[in-house]
Amino acid sequence: MTTLLQHPGYEEEKLQRVAELLLCREVQAGTLLSLMGQPQQRCYPSIFIYGHRASGKSHVMNVLLKELELPHAVVSCVECVSAVLLFEQVLLSFFGCDAVSLLPRSPSLSDFVRIYRQQCSPSPAKQTRYIVMEKAELLRDTDANLLPALLRLQELVEDNVTVILLSEIVWDKFRPNTGCFEPLLLHFPDYSKGELQQILSQDRNPSYSAEFYSAYINILLGVFYSVCRDLRELRHLAALNFSKFCEPLSEGKVKETDTHKLWRNIEPHLKKAMQTVYLREVSSLQWEQIQQMDEKETGALRGLSAHTHVELPYYSKFLLIAAYLASYNPARTDKRFFLKHHGKIRKTNFMKKNEKTSNHLLGPKPFPLDRLLAIFYSVVDSRVAPTASIFSQISSLVTLQLLAQVSHDDQLDAPKYKCAVSLDFICAISRTVNFDIVKYLYDFL
Amino acid sequence: MSKRKVKDAPLPLGDCLTEAQQVLRERFCRQQLPDRPEGVEAQHKHLLELLKRTAVHGESNSVLIVGPRGAGKTMLLQCVLRDLLEETEVQKNLLQVHLNGLLQTDDRVALKEITRQLHLENVVGDKVFGSFAENLAFLLEALKKGDRSSSRPVLFILEEFDLFAHHKNQTLLYNLFDVSQSAQAPIAVVGITCRLDVLELLEKRVKSRFSHRQIHLLSSLTFTQYLQRARTQLSLPDNFPDSKFAQEWNEDVTTLCEDKSVEEVLQRHFHSSKDFRSLHMLLMLCLSRVSVAKPTIKPADLLDASRLCLADAKANMLHGLSILELCLIIAMKHLNDVYEGEPFNLQMVHNEFKKFLQRKSNSMYNFDQPVIMKAFEHLQQLELIRPADSSAAKTQREYQLMRLMLDHSQIMEALQKYPQCPTDVKQWAMSAFG
Amino acid sequence: MSTSSVSKGCFVFKPGAKKKKTVSLESYFTHGCEDAENSEVRFKLCQDLWDKIKTDTEILQDELNRKILDSLLDFTRKCSSTRKHSDWASQMRASEIPTAALVLGVNVPDHDMTFQSLSDLLQQSVTPHVASVQAKECGVLKHLMKKVLERLMGTVVAVDDEDEEETEQTDAYIHKSVHCSLGTLCDWYIAKTKKSSSGTPGKKRSSPVRDEQQQQQPPVVIIFKDLEAFNPRVLQDFILICSRYIERLPLMFIFGIATSPSTIQHMLPHSVSSLLCIELFQSLSCTQHLATVIDKLILTPKFPFKLNDKVMQVLISIFLYHDFSVRNFIKGLQLALLEHFHSQPLSVLCCRKQEALLHVTQLGHHNLERIRQLPSFKRYVEQQEAQEQVNLMTDDTHLKEVCQRLIKDLRKYHKNFYPILRCLHALTSSLPRYPLGKQIRELYLICLEKNVWENEDYQSAMKLLRMLAKDELIALLQKCAEILQPVKSKKMKNAFSQLEELLAKFKQLDAVAETASSVDDIITSPVKNLKKTDLFQLQKTLLELNESRRSKKLSPYEILRNEVLDFIDALVKSHLSSPEAQTLHEVCYYSLSATVRRHLNATPRTSIQAALSSPYYYLRNDSLKTEDGTVSNAAPDICIAYKLHLECGRLINLCDWLEAFSTVVSAAEGHDPESEHFGKVDEVKHARFIRAVSEIEFLGFIKSTKQKTDHVARLTWGGC
Repeated sequence: MTTLLQHPGYEEEKLQRVAELLLCREVQAGTLLSLMGQPQQRCYPSIFIYGHRASGKSHVMNVLLKELELPHAVVSCVECVSAVLLFEQVLLSFFGCDAVSLLPRSPSLSDFVRIYRQQCSPSPAKQTRYIVMEKAELLRDTDANLLPALLRLQELVEDNVTVILLSEIVWDKFRPNTGCFEPLLLHFPDYSKGELQQILSQDRNPSYSAEFYSAYINILLGVFYSVCRDLRELRHLAALNFSKFCEPLSEGKVKETDTHKLWRNIEPHLKKAMQTVYLREVSSLQWEQIQQMDEKETGALRGLSAHTHVELPYYSKFLLIAAYLASYNPARTDKRFFLKHHGKIRKTNFMKKNEKTSNHLLGPKPFPLDRLLAIFYSVVDSRVAPTASIFSQISSLVTLQLLAQVSHDDQLDAPKYKCAVSLDFICAISRTVNFDIVKYLYDFL
Repeated sequence: MSKRKVKDAPLPLGDCLTEAQQVLRERFCRQQLPDRPEGVEAQHKHLLELLKRTAVHGESNSVLIVGPRGAGKTMLLQCVLRDLLEETEVQKNLLQVHLNGLLQTDDRVALKEITRQLHLENVVGDKVFGSFAENLAFLLEALKKGDRSSSRPVLFILEEFDLFAHHKNQTLLYNLFDVSQSAQAPIAVVGITCRLDVLELLEKRVKSRFSHRQIHLLSSLTFTQYLQRARTQLSLPDNFPDSKFAQEWNEDVTTLCEDKSVEEVLQRHFHSSKDFRSLHMLLMLCLSRVSVAKPTIKPADLLDASRLCLADAKANMLHGLSILELCLIIAMKHLNDVYEGEPFNLQMVHNEFKKFLQRKSNSMYNFDQPVIMKAFEHLQQLELIRPADSSAAKTQREYQLMRLMLDHSQIMEALQKYPQCPTDVKQWAMSAFG
Repeated sequence: MSTSSVSKGCFVFKPGAKKKKTVSLESYFTHGCEDAENSEVRFKLCQDLWDKIKTDTEILQDELNRKILDSLLDFTRKCSSTRKHSDWASQMRASEIPTAALVLGVNVPDHDMTFQSLSDLLQQSVTPHVASVQAKECGVLKHLMKKVLERLMGTVVAVDDEDEEETEQTDAYIHKSVHCSLGTLCDWYIAKTKKSSSGTPGKKRSSPVRDEQQQQQPPVVIIFKDLEAFNPRVLQDFILICSRYIERLPLMFIFGIATSPSTIQHMLPHSVSSLLCIELFQSLSCTQHLATVIDKLILTPKFPFKLNDKVMQVLISIFLYHDFSVRNFIKGLQLALLEHFHSQPLSVLCCRKQEALLHVTQLGHHNLERIRQLPSFKRYVEQQEAQEQVNLMTDDTHLKEVCQRLIKDLRKYHKNFYPILRCLHALTSSLPRYPLGKQIRELYLICLEKNVWENEDYQSAMKLLRMLAKDELIALLQKCAEILQPVKSKKMKNAFSQLEELLAKFKQLDAVAETASSVDDIITSPVKNLKKTDLFQLQKTLLELNESRRSKKLSPYEILRNEVLDFIDALVKSHLSSPEAQTLHEVCYYSLSATVRRHLNATPRTSIQAALSSPYYYLRNDSLKTEDGTVSNAAPDICIAYKLHLECGRLINLCDWLEAFSTVVSAAEGHDPESEHFGKVDEVKHARFIRAVSEIEFLGFIKSTKQKTDHVARLTWGGC
């Protein structure tokens, strides 16, 4: 396998070490290496590497650059709140802090390039310099010409520098509308099941045998592989559930080889894990506590989204109910629902034929404030004075994100809202004020 | 590394290859200038004439070089400059100012840059100028204070010219063109852009001051020429240290280019784009595969390289999705078929997916909403689906309207490639109705 | 009150303190208050009382929050300690950020106090590095970063004093660097911990409890006060960045959540929430909170100041119906207090016993007259015989003595009132269907309103009590005994002793119980399984039971039970009479519910409409007096225009409006309707009309519409 990582200009043993570190990524590493060529040689101005999360993009880059001791700067675009940070990091890791100090207060791109040139003109790069940008998709959100400039940085600074962009998103989504310098595209394919197995088996618990652990990993993948292939997630899950897996072993019920028994023990547990810890309904700490407990009391522990109960003031509840009705019922049906004696509106003719898709499939519709109030006054039993606090409750509901204001904030007359709560939630609410909301919902007639 | 070696002394293979790599990489990556620009001789001549007039006779001028990306606009200009500077007269007289629309994002920055490149910082010092025009005028004036009474010609080169047109009031362009019109100081303004409609971007007052000279680089390249170019690009120069190796190499290259499959590949590329840069990328990929183990480029390399270049990225990404995510995408595809590409939300997709599950006997896929949601989010992060409207934050996630960013064929292709894809899922994807 | 919770509207911010300097609070108070002579005294009393209440509430708050805060502290400690764990599993998931989701109920403005004490506690006992951020101060990631960094470095400055110059330069650094990244924070933190591990005395002082390992690595706590209000994108990015530093920087978050923990799932995509390790902390509900507050502040003889039923009702309903805000409740109490002392001259007597007696002696003549005018006092006088009446009405000194006695009585009354109230609540609160309410406040309201025993719910409650099984009854009675035991007053003491005796009798009864018990459970069993069925059922069976009881002789237990309940009933009748009945209750009880409501639960719209439809209400100009529904044509233009617009539909034709307007106005000018230019539109009328309309538009009753150019749209419904 090390044959892939043979290249003049680098010592054998270094490459050897790299090969060991890059499990299941030799091919990609090989291509990269051959593209980079020998240190002193030119490399293509910009390379764009894309692949799924945790498919080893950054890992490969870091290992290569670190182990082979090439001059490089690694920048994560999440951190770059402003381009300044980017400039600083690059200059810092290439030329040291004195270069950074040259940057003016709020440096523009041209300042950066100028300083870069100043710095590298006395010492032109003997080795190719590499700038690695992680999460490059965020570069699109910064000012428009940063990305194109980076792509042709080599030509702008006239230095042997290569910009390597890492992203989960395909290059087509990056290209500016007037086009730009096209980088060299490189794809990191996702790990196959076998490879995952191999990798996960690596970080085994030292106190157990390798094959035992790999058996465990095999079972784990059997459950989760169809849902999730993110190495990070899987590793996390593996770590969390292993102790449970070992339980029967420690109790001496079964011995390591009896995989079937072990499987029957762990399988339901993993299924539960998929509902809870995989979604972070239950934090990993709690999950570990559960494993200490036995089955019956684990029922007591509910996930985050189980706690949906919200205490609200009486009128707020009705406001919320009214909002829900307003956003899930067509406006024309209000007459039928809320008029005390709506002449002869019979179901058949007020049910329109054309709309068969239910509103609970399409989601909430925006409604004006006065419709909300009209419905509110007709659903709430006692008669309520339109006090300031009623209106303030509406806006509090908005800040609590139970309502969403659709229209712009500065629009004072006739603001529009949307109800942002689920059916179960509203049902629970209306039960507390014993109001049968389902009777008033168009979808459930 | 070994330029000083005696020509005919043969080098070990490794060194030869290193050297070859060196040379060719210089060519492919750095766009090293060719000795004579092939294909664009006419334009070259024209431009050279133009600039000469400024440089020697002190006439002002303005010209735009227009052509698609990677067509060799910059290369052309560089060649012209190189040839221009061969005359000593010009060399010690002509001043150059290089601006780039990507870097000089507004006119203040641009002006600072100009000052710097004309080495006038100290002259300007901390003067304050009323208007931009004054400032520029002062700069040009300052140039006069040379040994000679008539001021020195200045050559302004604006790359990404169209970006300058977006600056506030197009002050820079206005002033430059204005100077080039009036006989203040001899300057030549050369704009380089890839936008054919660039003139529409200019304000009237700016446009009227521009001498409507344009040099178009719309390469009318025939395939044979293209093939020819590919060969020349690959072949080593005569001054290569090891002439014997160079000779062999070049022969190999010629044979390569005569190969049938290679020709097909190049044909495909030729039809997709004729420009230098994509060709360079291709050749670069081939070159990178050359090593001591296999010291020549084989047709296979070229095939691989082109496959790498022309690979469909989205299909690649789809390959990495989990079964669940794939199922969701299929559900979306069906929704698109039914509702003619109307946007959809998670609820609908889930509903569609449920329908599929009901039809199926074994229910290994019935995950509950949150799991689906997580998968859905992942798809959104990969931008395989994208919110239909901007008001994303306002609505709950399960009701946010989305559009699928994949087309029918891509999905199908992905399904074919997908490792051990269950047959029923395949059938579901094929089935016309939801 | 933070303006963020009130929707549309404009807020008046008092211009700083400088005004207050010039005019003292007291002069504010005395100015225009009833009977200035003893206003200073009243002001003083008011102040003292309020201070007492305030301090009590604060203590209360702390007690209420203690539990949850302690658990939070434990959580933080645990996190910072587990971080260093080297066991295999925790290594595998090193990258998660420990997060506490703190659920605090929907009223956001109330949270500030909690967070304040939380961060104080944290800084004292766990870590000096605490930063709390609010949504409205960080709309963009950059701002959030900046705030966090500044707060963190700032707090450290606050904690230790010796390295001043060091803090100086950190500040300088912040200000110098326009941007700020977690990298800088990281370096700063490492430097900091280096220093602290060497052990600065200042830190030691500030943090008494901190084991060695934390000394090295105190966690960095970031508190998000109002999670819901944050922009999700900002939050996501911030969390992503933090997760990159988690190895080097022991970060941990505290999310202040108003609604429910599931909002975290709604706000953050799983890719982000998978970076957190979330623990849930539920604070106690605000209704419980209110219950305790009422219990400590209202249901106690400690404070002489009382609310009557109406005011109480207003405050409670505002709490329950509008905002679950305990803070506002207390504010309401404060307002009532102020109003009382401000408007009621006799409130000088509303204070501790000695003072009160003293004040009585100092009462001036017309204050005594006021006393004589008090309805309650009049009632009292009428009960006296003729001679006494005369004395009371004429002889001031005699009146003073009487008043002193009455004041004492009132105090005694209060002393006994609350214990009995609690007893009654203890007895009735567990009855099926809660005839006298579940919460003690409901019972209290009933008692305030009128004599509780006249209430038929009370009767039914008693009936139910008379059917309790022995064990239940005894349990309840013991509860009552516990309540009565600590009370000082004489009456209560012997009430307690009597109760003890009765309980003792029950004990003896056990000896002879065998016979009785059988009978009991025939009778009591229906009641036991009644609890589920509905009220009607209940009454029916009650009747039946009564029948059966009449028919057959009573078991000793039943006799005893009746005895006990009669005793209770007697207690109630003697002590729980409504305060209205007490003489001089006006002194202590504040009764102007309308004022309170007007201040606390304003109705801007209705008041505007009132002003427009009946201007007399505000202007008090007799020419405007009209029978309701109509507007006198002498009214201001806007009123006339408003009146006219009420008669229109959704769209109003401006021309017709103008016509109508001008006719009304010219009628006001007294042109005779026959004259040919009656109701002619001249420039003046036109101008007045336009002004009126624009004013109405400004008030938001109409707006211009696209549909028809010469029409305006009404924004209100109804009218005539």
